[in-house]
Amino acid sequence: MKRKFYIILLAVASISTVACKKDFLEKTPSEQISNEQLDLLAIQDPTILNGYINGIYGKMFEVGSGGTTGHDDFGQKGYDMYADMLAGDMVLAGTNYGWYSNIANLTATVNYTVNQAYMPWRYYYSIIYAANTVIESLGGNDANPEEVVKAQMIGQAKALRAYAYFYLANFYSKEGYGTGNEKILPLYIVPGTVNNPKSTAKEIYDQMVDDLDDAIVKLDGFSRGNAKHAVNQSVAKGLLSYVLAARGANADLQRVVSLTNEIISSKEFNMTDSLEAVANFNEAGELQNLQSGFNSVSTKSWMWAVDLTLANNLDLVSWWGQVDLFTYSYAWAGDPKIIDDGLYAEIKDQDIRKRQFDEDLWPINKFFAPDRRIGGQRNVITDYVYMRLDEMVLLNAEANARLGNSAAAIASLKSLLKLRFADEADYSYVDGLSGSALLKEIYLQTRIELWGEGKTYLALKRNKESLTRGSNHLFYAGDTYQYNDPAITFLIPQAEELNNPNLNK
Amino acid sequence: MKQKLLSLIFVWTCLVGIAFAQDRQVRGKVTSSTDGAPLGGVSVLVVGASIATQTDASGNYSIEVGADGTLNFSMLGYVSKRVKIANQSTLNVELVSDETALDEIVIVGYGSTTKEAFTGSAKKVDGANLQQKNTSNLSQALAGEVAGVSVVNGSGQPGTAATIRVRGFGSVNGNRSPLIVVDGVPYSGNLTSINNNDIESATVLKDATATAIYGSRGANGVIVITTKSGKGQDSFIEADVNFGSNMALLPRYDVIRSPEQYAGLSWESLYNYSQAIGGYTDAQATEYANNQIVTQGSINIWDVANGSELIDPITRTVKSGVDRLYDPENWEDYAFQNSNRTDINVKFGGSNDKTNYFTSYGYLNDQGYSINSDFKRYTGRLNLDHKVKPWLNVGLNFNVSKSERNNNGQSEDSGSIFWFVDNMPSVYPLFERDENGNKIDNPYHGGFVYDYGENSNRRFGSLTNSIADATYGVDRHNRNELNGRGYANFNVIKGLTFENSFGYQYYNNNQIIKNDKFYGSAASQGGSLYHQNSEMNFYNFLNLLRYRNQFGDHNFEALAAHEASSYNLKYLTLSGSGLVDPNSLDFNNVVVSNPNGGYTEDYNLESYFGQINYDYKGTYLLSGSVRRDGSSRFKNNKWGTFGSIGAGWVLSNEEFLANNDVINFLKLKASYGLIGDQGGVGYYPGYDVFNVVNVNDEPGFSFDSKGNEDLTWETSKMFQAGVEFRLGNYLTGTVEYYLKNTSDLIFDRRIGPSVGYALIKVNDGNLRNSGLEFDLTGHILKGSDYYLDLGINGETFKNKITKMPIDPNTGQPKTLDIQGTAGWAVGHSIYDFYLREFSGVDPMDGRSTWKVYYTDNNNNNEFDAGEQIPSLNQFENPDNKEIKEGTTKNYAQATQFYNGKSAIPKLRGALNLRAGYKNFDLSVQMLYSFGGYAYDGAYATLMGNSVVGSNNWHTDILNRWQKEGDITDVPRLSNNATTDQNVSSASTRFLTKANYLALNNIRLAYNFDANLVSPLGLSNLGVWVSADNLWYHSARRGFYPSTAESGASDMYRYSPLSTISAGLRAKF
Repeated sequence: MKRKFYIILLAVASISTVACKKDFLEKTPSEQISNEQLDLLAIQDPTILNGYINGIYGKMFEVGSGGTTGHDDFGQKGYDMYADMLAGDMVLAGTNYGWYSNIANLTATVNYTVNQAYMPWRYYYSIIYAANTVIESLGGNDANPEEVVKAQMIGQAKALRAYAYFYLANFYSKEGYGTGNEKILPLYIVPGTVNNPKSTAKEIYDQMVDDLDDAIVKLDGFSRGNAKHAVNQSVAKGLLSYVLAARGANADLQRVVSLTNEIISSKEFNMTDSLEAVANFNEAGELQNLQSGFNSVSTKSWMWAVDLTLANNLDLVSWWGQVDLFTYSYAWAGDPKIIDDGLYAEIKDQDIRKRQFDEDLWPINKFFAPDRRIGGQRNVITDYVYMRLDEMVLLNAEANARLGNSAAAIASLKSLLKLRFADEADYSYVDGLSGSALLKEIYLQTRIELWGEGKTYLALKRNKESLTRGSNHLFYAGDTYQYNDPAITFLIPQAEELNNPNLNK
Repeated sequence: MKQKLLSLIFVWTCLVGIAFAQDRQVRGKVTSSTDGAPLGGVSVLVVGASIATQTDASGNYSIEVGADGTLNFSMLGYVSKRVKIANQSTLNVELVSDETALDEIVIVGYGSTTKEAFTGSAKKVDGANLQQKNTSNLSQALAGEVAGVSVVNGSGQPGTAATIRVRGFGSVNGNRSPLIVVDGVPYSGNLTSINNNDIESATVLKDATATAIYGSRGANGVIVITTKSGKGQDSFIEADVNFGSNMALLPRYDVIRSPEQYAGLSWESLYNYSQAIGGYTDAQATEYANNQIVTQGSINIWDVANGSELIDPITRTVKSGVDRLYDPENWEDYAFQNSNRTDINVKFGGSNDKTNYFTSYGYLNDQGYSINSDFKRYTGRLNLDHKVKPWLNVGLNFNVSKSERNNNGQSEDSGSIFWFVDNMPSVYPLFERDENGNKIDNPYHGGFVYDYGENSNRRFGSLTNSIADATYGVDRHNRNELNGRGYANFNVIKGLTFENSFGYQYYNNNQIIKNDKFYGSAASQGGSLYHQNSEMNFYNFLNLLRYRNQFGDHNFEALAAHEASSYNLKYLTLSGSGLVDPNSLDFNNVVVSNPNGGYTEDYNLESYFGQINYDYKGTYLLSGSVRRDGSSRFKNNKWGTFGSIGAGWVLSNEEFLANNDVINFLKLKASYGLIGDQGGVGYYPGYDVFNVVNVNDEPGFSFDSKGNEDLTWETSKMFQAGVEFRLGNYLTGTVEYYLKNTSDLIFDRRIGPSVGYALIKVNDGNLRNSGLEFDLTGHILKGSDYYLDLGINGETFKNKITKMPIDPNTGQPKTLDIQGTAGWAVGHSIYDFYLREFSGVDPMDGRSTWKVYYTDNNNNNEFDAGEQIPSLNQFENPDNKEIKEGTTKNYAQATQFYNGKSAIPKLRGALNLRAGYKNFDLSVQMLYSFGGYAYDGAYATLMGNSVVGSNNWHTDILNRWQKEGDITDVPRLSNNATTDQNVSSASTRFLTKANYLALNNIRLAYNFDANLVSPLGLSNLGVWVSADNLWYHSARRGFYPSTAESGASDMYRYSPLSTISAGLRAKF
């Protein structure tokens, strides 16, 4: 009887006491980290919150940040390539694997169902969401926190928000900035759960300008050390210059002139010099200037860039993979990206930038992994550039030219050309230019200088220019497109049209 | 080496067996008196001696016994029978069903019952049926055995488990897989680690009564696996060997195999391109095609200087007299092989009044037909049960498994052998050729250098060669796995037991990927190596109090229990490059190391549950259960309560049917219950999560996905009604109807991505599954030495979304959610196609046309751009305009709409034929499915219009449009002209009937007469030949709709493997 008693006791005890501890049903992730875990960690170490800002910079080069598994989905530099191909200066010279072929043949732009229309939309809005989340957590859009670190975080977040809206406003608005009354994009300045209707271009641009103005104030004195991935005050000024130049009112252009002058005169950066601009070889074919290749964040002209290392886990799915012959990826494997032969023809023979391209027009002496072994770079550790000082010089020239300040425009332009020609006589012709001819020249030099860097598309739209595809295009060779041709602007993707019933309200 | 060892053991056991041979031999067959069916597993015992045997699956036995001895035949559910030998050498016996003892024991959730006393739906599959198939694990073997269970065999790779679905499609985005329970413990390991030969039976639980006891994990069915024991058996040794061959017997797609034919089509494609894009004249187009054919497509295996020497522009074929420089290989010849399959098992078992045990060793070497795809496994098992005291039983089930699986050539990218074999244009060689067309010696590996396309400028799979990579590389899983259970059962007082069990499962899997040092993607970095180590720990504590008693005619059972489960899977990833030794797989062999990574996935589950079963005279049956589960997966709403009630009525026990000759058995049953599911939501769906990114060596938190802290269980309310019957000696069967409404669906609700993310998991929306299942066996022929049984099982089911989730933008349910080729909307199944409709080819220009619905805004009675309705189901028609139909050649303008076709079949199931004549047994199993559609995307790729040289074509391309006036449904080839880019985009053009009829297994066995084998000391000796996947009929050669849940094809898929084998089994 005793035994039975014990067994019953054991049974009851087992069933009631093995009832698990309270935290038995509490589990937290470790492959990724949750905001609640981070909030707890921040109590111990508040600097960890800066990781939210860093996370946005991380997204700029993250594979799959456009919400797909495509090998053209790797952040900002991927959309730079879309821009370069839509602008026609970058030619897709083979379609073995077919990435970018529906950009190059202009079907992605008229077909709102394809991923290429979806990815930039998804990517830039996820940046906006992340920026909104940071701003909200630090007190909201009107906050002016006492703590310098927090203010600087808000400044960066606002600049990043403006950056994202700026690219959306280029990619998804046919006119760029038209009358200002055209409805172009939904606007979000707080993290929400409900979709917004489209706002007008004016509302979007006003928000960008407000954000960047505030960012410039808040980033005064902000030091990012040796790293260049963060938006500092100069980068914010550079972004604001782009936004204002795109809006293009006279007052805007005046500000572009003064903002770019501030950046240039601050001496924080140097212009890309001739040894950095193109590879030089000795007779044995060995590379002489290791600083060339547009592959290192240490380049003095780079204002906004990221130092990529093995830790970033990038390989063939990357900008380097898609563009560089010396990286193991698609450029080598039958989908090369080369320069439009029309543009190439316009580069003067004395211009060192002509040598950036080989006889097949591959950009192998502009962009290259330092080893220069074909298909050699397997894990990508060459860096990404988002903005460099030369852009500011060209923007300065352009804004001055648009305002009619020919002399100032020419001076800026020549400060660049001086580094691209050995003999001043070869570029002195610019002294004689003015008005639209000067503007055309600046536009041409912008295309040449910034080939393959994603900037020409922005210049095309803000200058309301047209493009003509050279004869080496696989598709539509010889065709001309105005800046507002529907074929070179994306449609709002199907996923938004289907799932945002407020969009057109 | 181990194979030899096992062979030795086998031989040794044979010898031992012979040494014990004695007495004379009596043999015979035991059948059931009710239907004459052979009875397997009947204990045959020599009275007064400790000699015993069991009948085999065909009811045959043989035993040594003295001439004046007596044999006792006994089996649960039948009245035991004693028969004197009286000098006979053959003794056939009929056993009478024991009406009160009911029939076979069925293991169900946390207990056992008999088929006749169970109010729910539980189909038991005998191990013998599973083991006759040449599969490595239970999942594939289950195909065709149970009505309402579909087995999706997604890969021919040996050693992979199939996807199992019970009763339709249980969830939208949540889990749809059944719970697997092995010897009473929910199973988190791999089914492939359990030796099929160790399985005594598998029971599929389908309705709420059967599964609600598993609460939150029972909503998609439960499969209860019971492994063998030595209970009731004398000590035995049983060994079987099975040798076979695996092959690619089922056809692949018919593709263009002739280089000349490929060149002709390519020429035409270029010709059409120049006309489509440039508006060229015939002469200009001819010149263009001539100029481009060699350069653009790198089509240059002929001894010609240019395209005009190669192609006759009138016939558009290669001119006669043109010779090849060399013959490009057919890649398939080098990708596939006939390979061996070896399966050897040795089992030991026995029992006495206190102890029973079963132990086994198994060796399987299963090589796939694709090169370097194989599975090698060693298993060992011990099942032990011992009565320590009259009040205490303890026991152990213990299984170890060690396996190596090579998966080469199966990545879903340019590493896929299957993609290459079908899609490689026939003009490209497997081996690189020098300028004279000769193969080049490979200095590193021997043989010839494979062509990576580096010099040949091959346009398909540039710079890769999946066959070379599969030859030189490694893609391997080394898995060591343990699973088992220890238990102690205390008998407290009569009828009351306390059962305590600890279940444990563990595996360590090391995935190794090595890329070759000299060729392929990692050659530039000197080869690369990747390891992913995953270590899984799962444990389960169960404390259960059970009371079972009989009060006169009242049988009563009740249980109450607590269970806690914990799952933890840790990953560790290493990678590096620069191999010193090209063959070493260790990391000290690697010069450059990449950053490593690791993380854990875990969840816990805690449960309280109870059950009551009651019956009166075995005629009126009642059962009920309730379970409360808490899961760590949900953040705020962790707990859910589930339960069921079931009732049954055995009419054949009633007076009015007592003497009915036709209706021998008849039971009506019904059940209703609430069951849940927690799977399919990931492990931490409650949290907003961020990826940790290295940004200049500082941490960056990059937003990844939005969590939902209120997420909780999805709940299914399932009703079932059924009938089980036995009519005379001719027909036994079960028919069941179910209706399952799942609410609080785990739904990945899409949102306009401008909000910052594209979807969020919510509990919203309702889904209804309903269906009818039948399982009938007709005993067509029956005689003293022959029988023929024909079984058919099947299901017909419907699936319907009855409520869509709320769109927070509008506060109204979403109208539509497009999911690939399907559209989700109220009133439609989750597999209703929502596509653009292909409306044929314009005979004038050969371009594709698609249907467009439009509102004729400018009243010109024809479709103009801008008037289209992009998505018909979402069109609100605010101005109430007339909707007209037209066609468009612009794919993006075409309307997406429901075309009335669905992937859900009207009827599917299996036919099982079993026949015996004297010592022969034959079984044939066929699988069928009728009435559904599937999207044949792999075919779409083969019917594409990409630039010449970049893909092969299906032979159906020969029906293409070629000139004005051609009536065909295959559009022109035009080298990917911008006007024709969408020819193979998703549309109804590639919807294909998913009907199939497949010969899943056929087996012919011969059991030797006992008096022949007894001198060898054997109690049983059988041989057989068996074949799997011999024949398959579907709408298109190469299209296997049973390999995917939706039936859709995939150009990367390892299509089904066929096996032919011969085996031998001996028992001592």
